[in-house]
Amino acid sequence: MTAHIWGVGSSAFGKQPGRSTAALAWEAVGEAMSDAGVRRFDAVYVGNVFGEPGMAARALLGLGIHGLPVHTLESACASSAAALAEAKHAVESGRHETVLVLGLEHLTSRFAGALPAEPRDFEGRSGLATPAMYAMAARRYLDVHGVTAEQLAKVAVKNQGHGMGNPRAQYRNRVTVDEVLASRMISDPLTLLQCCSLSDAAAALVVGPRRRTARDVAVAAAEYTTGGLWDHTSEHVWGFELARDTAARAYERSGIGPADADLFEVHDAFTIGEIVSTEALGLAAVGEGARLLDTGHTALGGKQPVNPSGGLLSRGHPVGATGAAQACEAVWQLRGEAAGRQVEGARAAVIETLGGGVGLMDGNACVVAVLTR
Amino acid sequence: MPSTEPAPVDPRPRVSPVDGVFGVDGYRCAACAYPVAIAVAVCPSCQGPVEPARFGPDGTVWSSTVLRIPVPGRPAPYVVAYVDLHGGPRVLAHVGGDRHLPVGTPVRLTAPGPGGDVTVSTR
Ligand SMILES: [Zn+2]
Repeated sequence: MTAHIWGVGSSAFGKQPGRSTAALAWEAVGEAMSDAGVRRFDAVYVGNVFGEPGMAARALLGLGIHGLPVHTLESACASSAAALAEAKHAVESGRHETVLVLGLEHLTSRFAGALPAEPRDFEGRSGLATPAMYAMAARRYLDVHGVTAEQLAKVAVKNQGHGMGNPRAQYRNRVTVDEVLASRMISDPLTLLQCCSLSDAAAALVVGPRRRTARDVAVAAAEYTTGGLWDHTSEHVWGFELARDTAARAYERSGIGPADADLFEVHDAFTIGEIVSTEALGLAAVGEGARLLDTGHTALGGKQPVNPSGGLLSRGHPVGATGAAQACEAVWQLRGEAAGRQVEGARAAVIETLGGGVGLMDGNACVVAVLTR
Repeated sequence: MPSTEPAPVDPRPRVSPVDGVFGVDGYRCAACAYPVAIAVAVCPSCQGPVEPARFGPDGTVWSSTVLRIPVPGRPAPYVVAYVDLHGGPRVLAHVGGDRHLPVGTPVRLTAPGPGGDVTVSTR
């Protein structure tokens, strides 16, 4: 038996300091319940990183959802993608029948600027903020593979362009390569328009057994793991091997390979992230990922669009809510409900969420899921 | 105004001078010789026992960047690098100046920064 997504929903994405965390959850879960035609659940799996204790259970109370197990999972940026992986297992093993997955994050009520470096981590204590972590990956990648700053910028141009078709996205701007490169330098070589920014949002998925309806989407695979060692022997930039190995397992389990997928939602928290992700997912050989941007292969209208939603760069990156948001987009695409950003005839979608953090580790966590109709 | 934040245990690698030469006071696996710069319970690679070991001073830049946004307690910009210490672990280090170091630049450990950061300079 394969778990299916019965319904999806999300709030808008963006800086929403005037809205409560609970209000974001009500919007997302309310839409998902209507979409699925279900108002009662056997369990809830929540993905969240920076919220206060008990946040999810309190938010659910306002929806009349109480008296059931609420499992909150923290796996950095992959938290609600990991929640989907757990929900799939819970349904397929018979532990629970109808499960709600909720990704929830309210960052503007926690942080004023960029996410702070964690003083309990040895690299965070040394001042390694997230942009610098990705910037060093980008610097290494550009130097080793002869990729240009212009090619890197094309990721932002493509995904901002895609986001113009997504009314829920945080940023909807047509930008040029020159504008991306001329925006403020954050951490060389990454400029402002190549970095995701703080976002508040919630995204929800209703997961249950197969119902043979026309609208349900199969979760053919949802593989989750933490990174192995990333150390002095590592040739690849951090996160690559973790994503590659997680993807290999998801492809094996689902019987869907990289050539079979019609679209991908991947972890473009920074532009370099999409290039490395597309290589890890098997769309291009190592060092060749930037060519996908040159040829238009991964743009809407191309053979295999990547981040038709606008990705993290345009839709926004509400850390714990991102994985569920990627799954929402995949479901809308597979049902043909993605309007102006629709990938025609999409039958299989791959989502990849990579939880950040180096510190001897090849990423905190990675989830690769394959969704099919 | 004194900070009211509790100060967690400093998790950074320790750097000390011996006869004027700076090195990282880390650990090496007694079974597989895996080098590690930070405190661990056992070898992260093979779970064998670790014993104290010293790494540096020389190393090679794996990558580097200039962070231009402020981090609490750190005025921007500042330069950081991943440095592969010869025969030792890859460590995150601060670099003086205001430019990133190209991949492959030879560097050497120097005295830790005032706050205790691992620091390198070009040789
Ligand atoms: Zn060992």
